[in-house]
Amino acid sequence: MRDVYIVGTGEHPWGKFNDKNFVEVGEVAVAEALKDAGVRWTEIQAIMSSILIYGGNAGHLSGQYIESMFGETGVPVVNVYNACATGSAAIRMAYNSIAAGETDTVMAVGVDLSPKGFLTAKSDDPRQDRDVLRWRMTGMPNPIYWAMECRKRFEKYGDTPEDLADVKVLLSQFGAKNPNARYKKVYTRDEVLNSKMVCDPLRLYEICAVSDGAAVVILSADPKKIQSANKPVKIAATTMGSAIYGDPTIRISALSAPSKAEAPLLSESYSASKQAYEKSGLGPEDIDVLELPDNSSWHYLQYLETCGFCGEGEAHKMLREGKTQMGGKLVVNPSGGFASFGEAIGAQAIWQVVEACDQLRGRAGERQVPNCKTAMAQTYGLMGNSGTTILTI
Amino acid sequence: MQVIDKVEGKVPRLPDLFSWTDEGVRIRSAKCHDCDTYFFPEYHAQHRPDCPRENVEKVLLANKGKLATFTIQHYMCPPPFKTTGDITPYGLGLVEFPEGISVAGLIMETDLDSLKIGQEVETFDYVLYKDEDGNDVVTWAFRAVK
Ligand SMILES: [Zn+2]
Repeated sequence: MRDVYIVGTGEHPWGKFNDKNFVEVGEVAVAEALKDAGVRWTEIQAIMSSILIYGGNAGHLSGQYIESMFGETGVPVVNVYNACATGSAAIRMAYNSIAAGETDTVMAVGVDLSPKGFLTAKSDDPRQDRDVLRWRMTGMPNPIYWAMECRKRFEKYGDTPEDLADVKVLLSQFGAKNPNARYKKVYTRDEVLNSKMVCDPLRLYEICAVSDGAAVVILSADPKKIQSANKPVKIAATTMGSAIYGDPTIRISALSAPSKAEAPLLSESYSASKQAYEKSGLGPEDIDVLELPDNSSWHYLQYLETCGFCGEGEAHKMLREGKTQMGGKLVVNPSGGFASFGEAIGAQAIWQVVEACDQLRGRAGERQVPNCKTAMAQTYGLMGNSGTTILTI
Repeated sequence: MQVIDKVEGKVPRLPDLFSWTDEGVRIRSAKCHDCDTYFFPEYHAQHRPDCPRENVEKVLLANKGKLATFTIQHYMCPPPFKTTGDITPYGLGLVEFPEGISVAGLIMETDLDSLKIGQEVETFDYVLYKDEDGNDVVTWAFRAVK
């Protein structure tokens, strides 16, 4: 296996774009990444594309549409779906293809225009579609799952409503400094605590929105491209994980969990990060910047523990002591996180990597973390999907 | 314990998820005797890795369990969830049954402000809406034990 670098990145600003289609949103990010990498379209030897299938096969948003816009070249285009970790799968496939010597330069692209409203079950057969029961029998949109886990933490570790609010406050301060963010308002703790209660203890401002957006990375092991790139970022590891038997998490879509834990909570994310630490030879103590999936304030706290940045039940201490803020040992989500961007399923994992690259390349403007040498991007996808990417400069 | 095959005027919204018995409503599960794991629903297997998967038996969970965690939802769940009118705020809980599996469901007919982790709850049939034939369409739900 040979070393693989990210030689260029691109991003479309995130928001709601009712007057644009997905190819138009993707085009901006692809063009930016090509320009940033100094790579011609015809030098891309494979395209790994994150897709969101909505409405079945006919409606899927595929990498071939993007390819046709820039000119069909006959290279492999692989369309992959792993829920919110879809982009992690695209990056991992790009990395593996290059590391194994199959290709030299590959693009991973994620574009998503989220449908309006909730993503509910598409079929009515609970035997084969495990997303059916919660929508028909129990009325459980995603945040319910997070709220139930969050209440366990309140009971077990003493997390408070103020901790949840402070996560949003911190992230909003970063988001205000990110030109690509959808939400740029800085919130106070009181404003967050006075936002509507959605599913106790999670309030409206503590749950991320769904957005439209796109992000692209170009990976290469071609010495010439690495040399001519503006601050190439080395991929120390890029991994994926699935859940482990005995995980006590009440996992989205499921309506049951084992009562006795025989595996860690969020075991798919534990698996992905553990593999990434092993492959990179780096550990949580080496990471300067972490982009974690803050679908809600609960995720922010839980992921610090799941990925080993502190012991079980200690995340609120890290938060309260300022260890995750600018100037702290580990700066968490200096991008502003999903709290400031919203999530766009097919694009978000690649977006996290683009934001981490901006920090490593010293391009993060007012939110730049000084002396950032190592960054990690961690994803969370429903139904047991997760990915971790560790990057160094 | 006797299973009651048909309760006049009541139909489950989807089949095979719970049963009426002379000891109350009981959630339908399956137990793998090889790897000592319970499934819910009974048709979604969740074996331990390397289990031979040969001895799986359908079972009914106890009528009562302990509340492992809960939330109170303040917005109506969108379709295909369906109830007669707006039921917000409504409770949702994860209930730990003595068999070793926890199952999620609505918490109804209970003072939501009084909910506490660890409290005892019982399974019952909650009427979601009436169908065209006038039957009560029901789901399983939990309520505080009085
Ligand atoms: Zn088994």
